[in-house]
Amino acid sequence: MKRAHLLLLVPAVMLLIGCEKEITVELPDTPEQLVVEGTIEPGLPPFIILTRTQSYFEPLDAAAISNSFVRGAVITVDNGNGPVQLDQLCTSALTPEQRVLFSEITGLDPALVSNADICVYSTANTALFGEVGRTYDLRIEAEGKVLTSTTTIPNPVPLDSVWFQLAQQRPNDDTLGFAWGTLTDPDTLGNCYRWMARRISRRANGSVEDPTFISPLGNTFQDKYVNGLTFDFSFIRGRQFYSNQPEDENEEAGFYKVGDTIAVKFVSIGFNEHEFYTSYDENVGSQGDLFGNPVNARSNISGGLGIWAGWGVYADTIICLPQ
Amino acid sequence: MRSIILLLLLLASLVSTAQGNLTISGYVKDAATGETLIGANVYAKETMTGTTTNTYGYYVLNLPPGKYTIVMSYVGFEESSQVVELKADLKLNLDARTKAIVAKEFEVVGEKAKNTESTQMGTVELDVQKLSTLPALLGEVDILKTIQYLPGVKSNGEGNSGFYVRGGGPDQNLILLDNATVYNASHLFGFFSVFNADAVKNIELIKGGMPANYGGRTSSVLDITMKDGNDKEFHGQGGIGLISSRLTLEGPIVKEKSSFIVSARRTYIDVLAKPFINPEGAFAGSGYFFYDINAKANYRLSDKDRFFLSGYFGRDVFDLSGSQPGSPNFKIPWGNATVSGRWNHVFGPKLFLNTTAIFSDYQFSFSGGQDDFKFGLSSGIKDYGLKLDFNQYPSVRHELKYGVNYTYHVYTPSTVDVASGDTEFDIDTPSKLRAHEAAVYIQDDYDVSDELRVNAGVRLSYFAHVGRFKEYLFDDAGTATGTRDYTPGEAIKTYYGLEPRLSMRYKTGATSSVKASFNRNLQYVHLASFSSIGLPTDVWIPSGKNVKPQVAYQYAVGYFRDLWDRKYEASVEVYYKDMFNQIEYKEGTQPQDGANTNYDAFLTYGKGWSYGAEFFLKRRLGKFTGWAGYTWSKTMRQFDEINEGREFPSRWDRRHDISLVTGYELNERWTFGGTFVYSTGQATTLPVQRYFIEGRVVSQFSERNGFRMAPYHRLDFAATLKNKATKEVKDKLTGEVTTVQRRYRSSWTFAVYNAYNRANPYFYYFTTEGSTATNDLRPVAKQVSLFSILPSVTWNFQF
Repeated sequence: MKRAHLLLLVPAVMLLIGCEKEITVELPDTPEQLVVEGTIEPGLPPFIILTRTQSYFEPLDAAAISNSFVRGAVITVDNGNGPVQLDQLCTSALTPEQRVLFSEITGLDPALVSNADICVYSTANTALFGEVGRTYDLRIEAEGKVLTSTTTIPNPVPLDSVWFQLAQQRPNDDTLGFAWGTLTDPDTLGNCYRWMARRISRRANGSVEDPTFISPLGNTFQDKYVNGLTFDFSFIRGRQFYSNQPEDENEEAGFYKVGDTIAVKFVSIGFNEHEFYTSYDENVGSQGDLFGNPVNARSNISGGLGIWAGWGVYADTIICLPQ
Repeated sequence: MRSIILLLLLLASLVSTAQGNLTISGYVKDAATGETLIGANVYAKETMTGTTTNTYGYYVLNLPPGKYTIVMSYVGFEESSQVVELKADLKLNLDARTKAIVAKEFEVVGEKAKNTESTQMGTVELDVQKLSTLPALLGEVDILKTIQYLPGVKSNGEGNSGFYVRGGGPDQNLILLDNATVYNASHLFGFFSVFNADAVKNIELIKGGMPANYGGRTSSVLDITMKDGNDKEFHGQGGIGLISSRLTLEGPIVKEKSSFIVSARRTYIDVLAKPFINPEGAFAGSGYFFYDINAKANYRLSDKDRFFLSGYFGRDVFDLSGSQPGSPNFKIPWGNATVSGRWNHVFGPKLFLNTTAIFSDYQFSFSGGQDDFKFGLSSGIKDYGLKLDFNQYPSVRHELKYGVNYTYHVYTPSTVDVASGDTEFDIDTPSKLRAHEAAVYIQDDYDVSDELRVNAGVRLSYFAHVGRFKEYLFDDAGTATGTRDYTPGEAIKTYYGLEPRLSMRYKTGATSSVKASFNRNLQYVHLASFSSIGLPTDVWIPSGKNVKPQVAYQYAVGYFRDLWDRKYEASVEVYYKDMFNQIEYKEGTQPQDGANTNYDAFLTYGKGWSYGAEFFLKRRLGKFTGWAGYTWSKTMRQFDEINEGREFPSRWDRRHDISLVTGYELNERWTFGGTFVYSTGQATTLPVQRYFIEGRVVSQFSERNGFRMAPYHRLDFAATLKNKATKEVKDKLTGEVTTVQRRYRSSWTFAVYNAYNRANPYFYYFTTEGSTATNDLRPVAKQVSLFSILPSVTWNFQF
């Protein structure tokens, strides 16, 4: 859904004035908290990134980001057969090729992964790989704190079809458009979804266009108003937080282009996870938005912040053909 | 209803008996235009007993038989007097003549000074004539922005016409235009209010000690009376400004019996901005403008009966069409319409009745889309009302007001409409909400002794949410279990309550008095806001099953004094206010969340309190006029479900607030105006910590409103140059030169807004600069300011 913050453009257009300047804001000391970013998908091990909050104005350079990762935590995941401890895996121990793979799996910025020492927690124990319908209890002990959470991997809901379609608002353009999907929502209320996509076609230098999956703003929705319906929907091309690619700066921003190949991940999630992702989306999307209310992301972690989410994944591919 | 009216009449007849005095009564009018004058002083010189005219320019003086000099005085008009022999009740209409040269210093002797005499506290009347000589943003004279210069009244931010009184919310102000409620008094973003100053006769703001004849709001009353129109000759006035033009026409329909006034205004930002918008660019096809029309007509059947019909119609039209993703197409039309028909009837010299029939309509709609996806949102409120208001003057010591009013409300809560291609989403049209609101009141302004005057009143108000209505039912776990349908008129929830109002004045000397007031107010409607500034997406919500009426208690004491031959008025007021059953949306609620559930599902309830001291000094007479105000105040809120239950400063909490307003009439042609404001920075919520999820920065926010933006201060100037009021005409035959009044008058107003170019904070936002690739990414805080130094010029004319 398009948000009202676009209204902000009006005073600018209307008055052709207004200015902005950088200011210094004195922030109070606030005790830091631990933050969990954990997911588990069918056929894959759990991945947990454990960080701590930082004061808002601390620089975001590689050293500071490295510092935010919590090392030496004791993390266990229990799928009903008893807790299994996860291993810590840090990028400093990886080869450059492994780091690219690491970035792809974790969704972390490849530049960051090569500059900073980043640690995640996972396991090679196949007994703990994700299974649809199963519930996973998470327990983390670190820095004298204990964090717990629970999630279930819901049944994936397949999309009837996915395709590329030229943008109607650019009638004279035959290259730019959006990714579309058709969903038949199951007849039971309470299905929640996330859409994420990445361009897996390659650039001239051989690198993949999008190193990781991207969830565009508004990617999380539920079936409250569409229960049991079959309908089409579209998404714009999301942008990585750290991107400085030309197509994110010029008029192609937000559009897919004829010639792109798009990998689509359509993820079913539970209701608490939906609550987190929508508020997270709101939090991230409203930064700098006068009309947005300040909203903290609604965590499902007790004792900390962040998310522990089981993802029921349906995957598909779109090839953007000329029309 | 009929029994209530009978009861009132009975009450009135009881009070009116057993008084031996005779009465002098009538209307006070501007001799040049026939406009009735509100608040003019009329008194008998011999006894020094007097009164002021009511909203319709009507006055009643009770005196024993005898010979009297009746004096009429009103600021800006010549004092006039006439000798009458009072043997029987006398009808005396008084004509007031404009002072030839207003700038002349003069003294007022014997005038009943309102500042120290009346029981009213926290009440200010504004001189509309003076407004045009004050500096205004882009030259647009604005009533609502001018009242923000008064102590205890706060602005909603840069250039905003929204206002807050003594810690109350924007929904707690009762804004009346010729007795009809105006629900949203602002045009887009609040930069301009809906009131066109050219059509306005009188503005009265009541901040505290609200008399019993007003109700339905807990904070303040802004009572705006439109001009009646010149009943002697046809006149026009207008102006051409940087962003809008105005035209007002008025004149007699039947000379000295009936007149009309029509006033219209339209902005042309859309026309001006068009050349600057790239036709291929992101905002091609976008446009914004507003227009409004005020119209009024009146007919005087006799001295006993007079009819008025007045209306306001205004619309904002905003289209945004973009070619970039994320800038989809919007259409947002919204606006107000009000119509009120009034009938003044004088039963006898001592009893005056005003009957008003009211229709008020506020509508907002939003429709937008991107490709096949369409999204619509609409809301609104419609009122149908009837008011009977009696003024009775049983004796020189009493002035009674009593009456009854009734309104039928129809609210349209946020109605969402979503479609993708041919698939209509499964969204119910939510029930309209219907409610009856009624009240009876009685109050007496009573001179207990020469020192003590008491205004005591009570209001009994009633509110019922009635069918048709579809209620969604949920079990304890929050799962929908079905709906319940209420039939038309079926009571769903009923509230009523007593609202005692008391204010008193005790004279401590010839030019000083102490005043105190207490009032309890009930308010049955609430404004729920999604954002930190007022937007048209804000929705009016009536009380109902879960939403209880707002209750406010206000206590105030003050010391009032006239200084230096009454050239100056000074006052100090201290107040404390408690507010209960305040509403807010739960954290993170979006406008579209309201579908398929009850209108109150996302609300949360809490309380508020406010206290403060207001200092006011006004120079009312002379070449140099103006005022200085200072307010110290604190306003807090507490909601169990917001800020983890901890109390937090309200958005409208400003510790210090200073305003200076000055006007100087140099000569007949040049007038200068200047204003200065300073206020503590606005409270805001900012992120204190951050963390990463999926590679994005997530903000962790502070306590609600835990930060202060930089203080707001601004200095504005204006200079007005008028052509001469008179011209010399040479008789062709005799060569004799005579001075005559000019029929065409024009003036230029040159203004500078924000003279020392202060970058006042409009809002703060946080962003990042640099990139991880170059390893210099850092978060930064930015302040956005709206208006830098802004000169403007406006040309006004009158004929």
